[in-house]
Amino acid sequence: MDRDTSNILEVRDLHVEVGGRELLHGVNLSIPEGQVHALLGPNGSGKTTLMMTIMGFSAYKVTRGQILFEGRDITGLNVSQRSRLGIAIAQQRPPTIVGVKLRTVLDYIVAHDSVSAEEVAELVRRARVEPFVDRDINAGLSGGEIKRAELVQLLATCPRFSMMDEPESGVDLDSLALVGSLVNQLFTRESCRPARRRAGLIVTHTGHILKYIEADRAHVMLDGRIGCSGNPHLMLETISERGYEECVCCMQEGIQL
Amino acid sequence: MSDSSTIAAVAPDEARTLADVGVQIRSDEARVRAGTYVLRDHLPLCVQTYREGLEMLPIAEALRRYDWLREKYYWQLVHVDQDDITRQVAAEAEPQGYFIWVRQGTRLTRPAQAGLYIAHDGLSQKLHNVVVLEDDAELHLITGCTTGREVRAGHHLAVNEAWVGRNSTLTLTMVHSWGPEVIVRPRAAVAVGDHSRYINNYVSLRPALDIQSNPRTFLNGVGATAKYMTVILGSRGSIIDTGGEVYLNGEDSGAELVHRGVCTGGKMYQRGFLVGNARCRAHVDCAGMLLDPGEEGFIESVPGLRSFHPEAQMSHEASVGKVAPEQVEYLMSRGMEEREAVSMIIRGFLDADIEGLGAELDARISEIATLAGHGDGR
Repeated sequence: MDRDTSNILEVRDLHVEVGGRELLHGVNLSIPEGQVHALLGPNGSGKTTLMMTIMGFSAYKVTRGQILFEGRDITGLNVSQRSRLGIAIAQQRPPTIVGVKLRTVLDYIVAHDSVSAEEVAELVRRARVEPFVDRDINAGLSGGEIKRAELVQLLATCPRFSMMDEPESGVDLDSLALVGSLVNQLFTRESCRPARRRAGLIVTHTGHILKYIEADRAHVMLDGRIGCSGNPHLMLETISERGYEECVCCMQEGIQL
Repeated sequence: MSDSSTIAAVAPDEARTLADVGVQIRSDEARVRAGTYVLRDHLPLCVQTYREGLEMLPIAEALRRYDWLREKYYWQLVHVDQDDITRQVAAEAEPQGYFIWVRQGTRLTRPAQAGLYIAHDGLSQKLHNVVVLEDDAELHLITGCTTGREVRAGHHLAVNEAWVGRNSTLTLTMVHSWGPEVIVRPRAAVAVGDHSRYINNYVSLRPALDIQSNPRTFLNGVGATAKYMTVILGSRGSIIDTGGEVYLNGEDSGAELVHRGVCTGGKMYQRGFLVGNARCRAHVDCAGMLLDPGEEGFIESVPGLRSFHPEAQMSHEASVGKVAPEQVEYLMSRGMEEREAVSMIIRGFLDADIEGLGAELDARISEIATLAGHGDGR
């Protein structure tokens, strides 16, 4: 087995079906330890599908390829096994669960993880989720409230690899600073390795979130494939000037930025 | 009124079994309970009251002591000839069961408890229980019905009659945990007076083979109200048919019936029937969750309304669904095992409309959620 331990995540030739339809057609992606990558791409290109598949949601069926986490093949693991390895996701539209409060989930995390009740209480205050911490999880929340609720849960579990699906979407400018600082906190240094920060993957449309969190590299996804990869700022600049049309041309011509 | 006598009368392993259904047999019982009645098979083991204004007696003794009991209450709400069950109970030479009497002006802050316990396999308990609350009275009665660990089969037949006077509140919390082949047939009726409230909580943990329970509540008084909260776990092979009928006879009476069922197999019927005979407001809400019910398991929800009065405002809702995989995996993505996630979702489903059930029922409902999460109702 070839092991490349310098990559925390490695996706190889990933093909994924949802409801019998193939949405990812051979995705290749490597994220080194300590790096945060941005994932760009038009709606429907497969960004969310890729993240949900990395987390292991069963509606996303891997028909070909592999997902490696710290060199280990996790393609066959379920969501909780992956979570326990340190993989986490902040979903864009997380489900509502009647009768289950955000606090119920946070209490579970306190009981099972290393985080203390006081630390979680501080997170709840800082993320301004008190008004709905005792309401049904994700029920009737605005876009910004959902982001903050998701981020509180991620921060409490202290994941080694965090994925975030459009952390800035539906967030007004005032809350963007708060969401940005929470995201920043998520990618702080690892306690055992002061020179290395926590790794992750952030889906962004606008790139606004990248003002708060430095991305090491960006990838553009087009029609279920990674089209190109490169410097996040250069790529965002190109996309904001010329749209994804340019990327489509690039891809057809086989040019890499 | 000696504190030690219930402990002396009940064996330690029986006390543990009774504790599972909310009946606390302990040395400091008087601090947590207003009174205790325990029946093992056909034998009353103990009858104790710790508060003024509360009387608890074996029904046979009460009938000998109080002529008015037979004249005004006994067999007055449930008819002797209602069905085969009532006839069997009426045919007992010496009736078994309890009489509980709360005198006018007595508001009991601690619950009274009745433990009805089948210790021997194959036994038939035939009970007649009567509860009388006079005016301005309040009682929370916990009845725990259960079987010994060795008991598989048995019959629990019961006639339950309760009267709630004016400005009074009766809360009846029934916790059942049965052997796998026990047949349970309560026949219950409650009459509620002016501005009084009746609350009926029913939790079934270890389901019997066959439960049929459809208590009737007559809201006769002006402004009388009733609330039913039923939480049932069904498992393979069981037939559970539970609900309630509420007759809204008093002006401005009101009722709310909430039924929550989790089916891990077996047949489950959720009923709730409202009859509007006056200006009133009432709602019945049945929700069921199917959890790996197998080929035979089902939930049938039958909420119903019958209105005789143009100002009777009544409504019903029903839903049956499953645990959504995206909800389970969402919680798994926070580190939970699948069964922990399922338990948390079921707990939430059962909790959704229950407020302030108290620690005892809270613990029982957690137990249901855990059992259901393990895919094992028994």
